[in-house]
Amino acid sequence: MATIPHTSPFTHNASSVRKVMLQVQIAAFPALMTHIYFFGFGITIQWTLAVLTLIIVETALLKLRNRPVAPYIFDLSGLITVTGIVFCIPPESPWWVIVSGVTFALIFGKHLYGGLGYNPFNPAMLGYAFLLISFPAELTQWTLPSEVSGHHISFIESFHLIFTGQSLNLSFDQLTGATPLDEVKTALAMGVPVTTTLNSTNFNGEQIPYGWAWINVAFFIGGLWMLYKRAIRWQYPVGFLGSLALIAYVFHWIDPDTYAPASFHLLTGGIMLAAFFIITDPVTSSTTPLGRFIYAAGIAVLVYVIRNWGAFPDGIAFGILIMNMFVPLIDQYTQPRVVGYRR
Amino acid sequence: MISAILIFLALAILFGILLGYASVRFKIEGNPVAEQIDNVLPQTQCGQCGFPGCKPYAEALAKGESEVNLCVPGGHEVMIQISEITHREPKEMEAEPENIAQKIVAKIDEDICIGCVHCIKACPVDAILGATKMMHTVIESECTGCEKCIPVCPVDCIAMIPEEVTPQTWGWPEPTPQEAPLIQTFPPKD
Amino acid sequence: MTTTPTRTFKQKLILGLSKLYPMAKRALYRFHGGVFPRYNKELSLSHPLITDFIPKTLVLPLQQHVGVITEPLVTLGDLVLKNQLLANTEKGLAAPIHAPTSGKIVAIEERTLPHASGLSGLSIILESDQKDQAIENSLDVDGSIPEMPDKLKALIHRAGIVGMGGAGFPTFAKIPSQKGQIKYLLINGAECEPFITCDDVLMQTRANDIVQGALIVAQSLGIEHILCGIEDNKGKAIKAMQKAAKDTNVQIKVVVTAYPMGGQTQLTQELTGIELPAHTHAIDVGVLMMNVATFAAIYQAVIHGNPLTSRYVTVSGLGLNHPFNIDARLGSSFKELALLAEPKTPLTYPLIKGGPMMGIEMQSNDVPIIKTTNCILATPPEPMEEPMPCIRCGECMDACPINLLPQQLYWHSRSHEFDKVEELKVFDCIECGCCSFVCPSHIPLVQYYRFAKSEIKHIKQEEATAELAKKRHEFRQERLEREKKEREDRIRAKKEAVKQKAAQKASAETTETEKPKANAAAAAAARAAKARAAKNGKETPPAEPKLSARDRAIAAAKKRTDAASKPTESNTTTPTKKQKDKPKDPKAAAMAAAKKRAAKAAKEKHSTQADATASTETDATDTTDTMKDKRAAAVEAARQKAAEKKRAKQSEQPENDSLETPSVATKPSDETTATPNKASDAKRKAAMAAAKARAKKQQSKTTEEKT
Ligand code: SF4
Ligand code: SF4
Ligand code: SF4
Ligand code: SF4
Repeated sequence: MATIPHTSPFTHNASSVRKVMLQVQIAAFPALMTHIYFFGFGITIQWTLAVLTLIIVETALLKLRNRPVAPYIFDLSGLITVTGIVFCIPPESPWWVIVSGVTFALIFGKHLYGGLGYNPFNPAMLGYAFLLISFPAELTQWTLPSEVSGHHISFIESFHLIFTGQSLNLSFDQLTGATPLDEVKTALAMGVPVTTTLNSTNFNGEQIPYGWAWINVAFFIGGLWMLYKRAIRWQYPVGFLGSLALIAYVFHWIDPDTYAPASFHLLTGGIMLAAFFIITDPVTSSTTPLGRFIYAAGIAVLVYVIRNWGAFPDGIAFGILIMNMFVPLIDQYTQPRVVGYRR
Repeated sequence: MISAILIFLALAILFGILLGYASVRFKIEGNPVAEQIDNVLPQTQCGQCGFPGCKPYAEALAKGESEVNLCVPGGHEVMIQISEITHREPKEMEAEPENIAQKIVAKIDEDICIGCVHCIKACPVDAILGATKMMHTVIESECTGCEKCIPVCPVDCIAMIPEEVTPQTWGWPEPTPQEAPLIQTFPPKD
Repeated sequence: MTTTPTRTFKQKLILGLSKLYPMAKRALYRFHGGVFPRYNKELSLSHPLITDFIPKTLVLPLQQHVGVITEPLVTLGDLVLKNQLLANTEKGLAAPIHAPTSGKIVAIEERTLPHASGLSGLSIILESDQKDQAIENSLDVDGSIPEMPDKLKALIHRAGIVGMGGAGFPTFAKIPSQKGQIKYLLINGAECEPFITCDDVLMQTRANDIVQGALIVAQSLGIEHILCGIEDNKGKAIKAMQKAAKDTNVQIKVVVTAYPMGGQTQLTQELTGIELPAHTHAIDVGVLMMNVATFAAIYQAVIHGNPLTSRYVTVSGLGLNHPFNIDARLGSSFKELALLAEPKTPLTYPLIKGGPMMGIEMQSNDVPIIKTTNCILATPPEPMEEPMPCIRCGECMDACPINLLPQQLYWHSRSHEFDKVEELKVFDCIECGCCSFVCPSHIPLVQYYRFAKSEIKHIKQEEATAELAKKRHEFRQERLEREKKEREDRIRAKKEAVKQKAAQKASAETTETEKPKANAAAAAAARAAKARAAKNGKETPPAEPKLSARDRAIAAAKKRTDAASKPTESNTTTPTKKQKDKPKDPKAAAMAAAKKRAAKAAKEKHSTQADATASTETDATDTTDTMKDKRAAAVEAARQKAAEKKRAKQSEQPENDSLETPSVATKPSDETTATPNKASDAKRKAAMAAAKARAKKQQSKTTEEKT
């Protein structure tokens, strides 16, 4: 521990990286609960696996890079990364999926660039994108919400599913299915209008995918709390959700048969997760206020484009990674006006 | 097929025009290489490079007649800059300047000076004042610290002393490594 | 007119909200960012003001202000009275220093300054006799308010008043010399640093002084609006000031408590809505802001004739049992005052000058209070969190009152990309510390900026020196070329002259035919000389003083030589003989002389016997010879002096002489060094260099002759 700094200020508001990261973790808690409620305990197993991988990989890499291990593990930034991945992958996906995803994210997304603070790409999304490309089949088989499948998966079942790929009594296919996004997309490709798909059983006839919606609401609540705690900046969610809603609304208005309504877009997939937990990662996003807004809006556009016209069902990961590349550029052109200068 | 060719042709012409325009519009006024090099040289005029001053060295470099690593006071940094300007391979410095951190200036011990004017003739920047048989003085602010006056003094009355730090010239030190974050830089953005 | 601290509904709403969300307070004021540290002001406010403490020894650094150092006017052993002038200078921007109490000057020596570097500077050490006898009205005022700004400025200068908020810029230099240039006079009572309460106490106890001081300044500068900004956490001070400002046109404005409200830019913006443009002085936009303490000092100087010899200082910190405010004599030691406040643990840690946000850690605790010291902070060091890498969270940016991008400044400072740092306007950073205060990574951001600023200044300085060296070297190169050519010319001319002489002698009687030739040669030489002279003249018009300085030196040397021994005499007489030997040709000589007059004008003024002869009956070659001989004389004189010096080192006279001459010679070069950085002066500098070079050319010629 160093002593008092040699220059002013000699006081501090006692914030720290760890506290900020912890706040983010806490904010994810409601979503975790909801997730368990709808999809079973699979996520807790995934999460435990991810944390174990995190500890092993981080320690090894920090040792390799000759850095002190303790402060950099306890800054909890890695935890945010793995949480991001865990929420993105299907809760019953095989164990090696999460392990390889986390490992990839930490090595290629973080430490190869110099560790915390120096990575240009969001490590969580890098890991997820890696999984998406490497194991597309595993990643599209989502557990169906218990309301839909009519079966609530127990902890033991999840455990079996994850580590053996075998279910105890039910067939795997019965429990899992495509995500709502996938479904809409496939249906569209077969010529079924969006409205019809949305009214099918999987969606409970409510137009909005059931379990997904609640998880997103939980994320939203956590996000609001983070905003209040100043753990994240308002520009991210506002820019992201605002732009996405706007685009979705406009397209839906133009052609309701081909384009899903804004509410569907906002409440499916990892939109809220992204809006409050992923794109808010300060390291890989723009640093100027206007820049953040542009960054968030850019992601929204990309997400919409990929969702509607791209090859992947959800575009969050790629949207974020692409916008990451533009961060230096955005930063450069959105410098705020310094007091005493004219623009 | 035809249309594809036409499109590509059109594109090629378009970009050609754009590039041509850009090269005219954003043209960087190129300094002659010698001048560019001269600008990065420390202007100590010490002659340690084997040339009578910085400019001749710069000119020789520009003509490609000299090595990039000869300027001792400039050190590694200047060498890198030179090799960048001349597009040549950087070469390791053979001799490193002993004290790069602090500026040193010559000081004549005025009790010993016999006024031989040898040092006046040696000084490349006319930083020594005095008349024959009269005591000489170094104008501190103009001395480059080239040490050329030292060997010529017959009574060894010139010493190189570090310039004194005053509260006005004192600068804040860089935060110590232990205070600085422990991780090295990520390549700067451009 | 006064305003009561009533709040609008919006303000109340925001204040209510801020209980839930503290940062909502940022909406209460006009400037960007800002932070809300813990103030701890009650510590020093809970103990009464100390006014009667006179330390045994006072250390008065000769430089307590921005500008040039003062020179002591007293000597060792002098007995001085309080308010007596101790040091002053006319050399430039400075503020004189007066005795804070009566006593004896026991030393004038280097003492550690209250500066971050821990360097020492010349100081007057005053041992107090505890009698505190004062010269009343030592500034000799009649108590009337000066009507013209100039008078006020002079008086403020004499009183040694500097900006007492921290920067230490001499106050007189801040005041414009024209009436009506200032629209707003701002009184800065927004002491926003945690712990510090000295301005608060000053406003409570001497509100009248402050208000009257402001009225004095306003009256003599013709200022209409006087606004006083006080933070709303100083209730008592607000009341006192409002009472004092009753029936005057001083408006007391209550501003929100936020750091750094007391910054000049911030408070100006808060009070007037004017955003001070960067790189201009506040007075250019019609704003003059001074600290409350400065106004009180002005009042004391103008009405009572008392110079600035003491100031209110807060002695506080978590490490003290009995923190207090004190009307401290300038020169009191930090340590002594801290000990007076009963430290909880021995003072083994460094004291801090100023508050916790912008203060500076002292390298030694035994440093004196100077005119700008507002606080001594004794806070024992605590372990702090290790700095982490920047996570680009942007907290610093949100907190920066200047709206800079602290994180980007930091990245570039750390990787030494100083050009980028400068582009990001690091020089507009006020080093307020808000960014470091909020940084979750605990990065010492401010130190990085200070470092970057120092480095940039250093680099600029170095570039300027390199540029200068380059110019000088190029000039020297040119000069050497020219000299070489001239020498060749001369040798050729001489050779020809010799040839002619030989021819003349050979055809001794039949001179008529030969003469034109000789004339031609002489004329040619003269023309060359003229051309040279013209060239020099064109190049160096401002160099005249230099020339005459040299000539004076030569003349002095000559005089000395005349008084000296025989060999020199023979030397001086040689030219006369030579000239007599020369064939006389009045016509040619006259012509040459006329042509050469331009070149010689300056020298003729100092003409001695030899010169006179030369000017009447010389040709070009001869003049050169004369000059050479003059130089030779000087050389001889110098040599003798050197010898003398060696022979009798104890005799002071010759030594003094030898010191004198070079100092005359150095003078012009001093002028050059005074403005080494100004590119606009390049021309002048070149001219100077030319003059210097010429002087040296002649010296070296002399040497050549010798060898
Ligand atoms: S070695 Fe000396 S003379 Fe040569 S380029 Fe370097 S500074 Fe100039
Ligand atoms: S005084 Fe000596 S060290 Fe300084 S520049 Fe001249 S020759 Fe070099
Ligand atoms: S507050 Fe600290 S960690 Fe955050 S952006 Fe600024 S410098 Fe980086
Ligand atoms: S120290 Fe400088 S950069 Fe930091 S907040 Fe203050 S003005 Fe801004």
